[in-house]
Amino acid sequence: MSGNHLKFGIALAFAMLSAPIASAQEAPDADEMAALCHGGLTICVSATIPAARTQAATPGWMSPDVGAAWAAGYKGQGVTITIVDDFSSSSRFSGNFGVGVQNQRHGEWTREEAGMIAPWASIRSKDFSTGSAVSLAPGRNVLNLSYGMYTTAGYSVNQIGWAPEEASIISYASSGSAIISKAAGNDSVAVGGVTNGQQDYLNLALIGKQTAIFVGALSTNGTTTNKAQLAWYSDYAGSNPLVQSHFLVVGVDGSKTGLYGTSFAAPIISGYAAIIGSKFTNATPTQITNDLLNTARTDTLVNYRASLYGKGEASLSRALAPVAIR
Amino acid sequence: MREKSGNRESFRSAALLLCALLEASPAIAQEMTTSLVDIHQGSPLSDRARGLGNGGYELQNGNRVSFNQWYRASWVDMHVDLLTQVTEDTGILWGFGTGEEGEKYRIQPSLKLGFLTQMHPSPNSTLSLSLTTTFGGKLTEKSCEADYGDFGTYSVNCRLAASQMAPEETLKYLVNAKPESQHLWLNYRVSF
Repeated sequence: MSGNHLKFGIALAFAMLSAPIASAQEAPDADEMAALCHGGLTICVSATIPAARTQAATPGWMSPDVGAAWAAGYKGQGVTITIVDDFSSSSRFSGNFGVGVQNQRHGEWTREEAGMIAPWASIRSKDFSTGSAVSLAPGRNVLNLSYGMYTTAGYSVNQIGWAPEEASIISYASSGSAIISKAAGNDSVAVGGVTNGQQDYLNLALIGKQTAIFVGALSTNGTTTNKAQLAWYSDYAGSNPLVQSHFLVVGVDGSKTGLYGTSFAAPIISGYAAIIGSKFTNATPTQITNDLLNTARTDTLVNYRASLYGKGEASLSRALAPVAIR
Repeated sequence: MREKSGNRESFRSAALLLCALLEASPAIAQEMTTSLVDIHQGSPLSDRARGLGNGGYELQNGNRVSFNQWYRASWVDMHVDLLTQVTEDTGILWGFGTGEEGEKYRIQPSLKLGFLTQMHPSPNSTLSLSLTTTFGGKLTEKSCEADYGDFGTYSVNCRLAASQMAPEETLKYLVNAKPESQHLWLNYRVSF
């Protein structure tokens, strides 16, 4: 601390570590994965009469919506996702996104996840320990923040002396120059709430910013017949309407990946934003943010209420669909 | 509309009978008679247009849009084929198709023109050759206006408006198909 300003020494990543899982679950075979991740123009429709909606094989942890995105050959191209995370520590943990058990750093996991959702997005890694400003790539940008900035509760956001890194991120969220997908947190409190005498001031600083999206975790992907509920650890929207209107939830199916935490919810929204950006090539970050927020579903959630789920479960298919057609 | 295919078959049978009569009565040919060869409703393009009506998607508010409403027609393309006999062994084949139209597609009317000739390599055999050309009859799919809210309104392929494809890209997949334009028919028949 210096004067009224706080300096953060440690950024906390939002992973919930679990025991390594023993084997790949629902893993496509090696050839299939190669095709999914590296195949060229795999538009699964004929040249003259394409099917309206086709489905590509996806790992079981992903929403079926993503398979439809892949099938159409639109995988986030033209959009840059910057993962601001841990890429340098010695801390590693195991999981399996359907490609075999791996032992990776937190940032390597979130980067892999975003890259799997939007395989053709340009993915950049920014180690959060450097504290240097995050630069934007030409074109549309999504910043993935699967971490928080915690210190003693009770300060005003204005009292925080942000490092250039977070200062740049907050600035982008304010100006609408990049979509900010921020993991809500794993303390089962409302966004910005106090836990063990501490608060996530990065959450607090992003409240009310036009392109910030707080992302909570559901224990599974929801459907109308099999509704999902908030994961036991996930932070929720709370009573602040400014948070509720920028809060989304997505399925983080740890039973399939061995990976739990809102850290793995934020990259899903980052990937969705990239896919929407690859469809609407002239869309602004604010438009993409609003599209994701306004098309979230509430009918796939157990006892939906805004204070818990915010706008609801993100729906890629609805975000890509027209409002009306004639 | 599928039941119309049954009509196509029955009309075909009648037309074949007419052909047989024509061949069996060469005297009639001397009088430049015109005979109905075939009449049927439906065509490969008509079936293809109907196939476009399979499927649908949800709009942003969850309301379902079915393609069927856009790709059905109250009148199915009807084809009439006629033969005007010029000499004992030659004739002009001609005919027309009415075309059909649905909300999001159109099959143009068509005109068919060609000839039929036959020779007898032996007293009990007949070698027939016919060549026909079809003008028009093209299937054209129309676009839709899709409102994407803040992203704007685009002209799109109706069937692909909710796909991950960029709206303007979907127009590349509008169906633009021509009917079989030329048909060559060769037949050798031996009676014994």
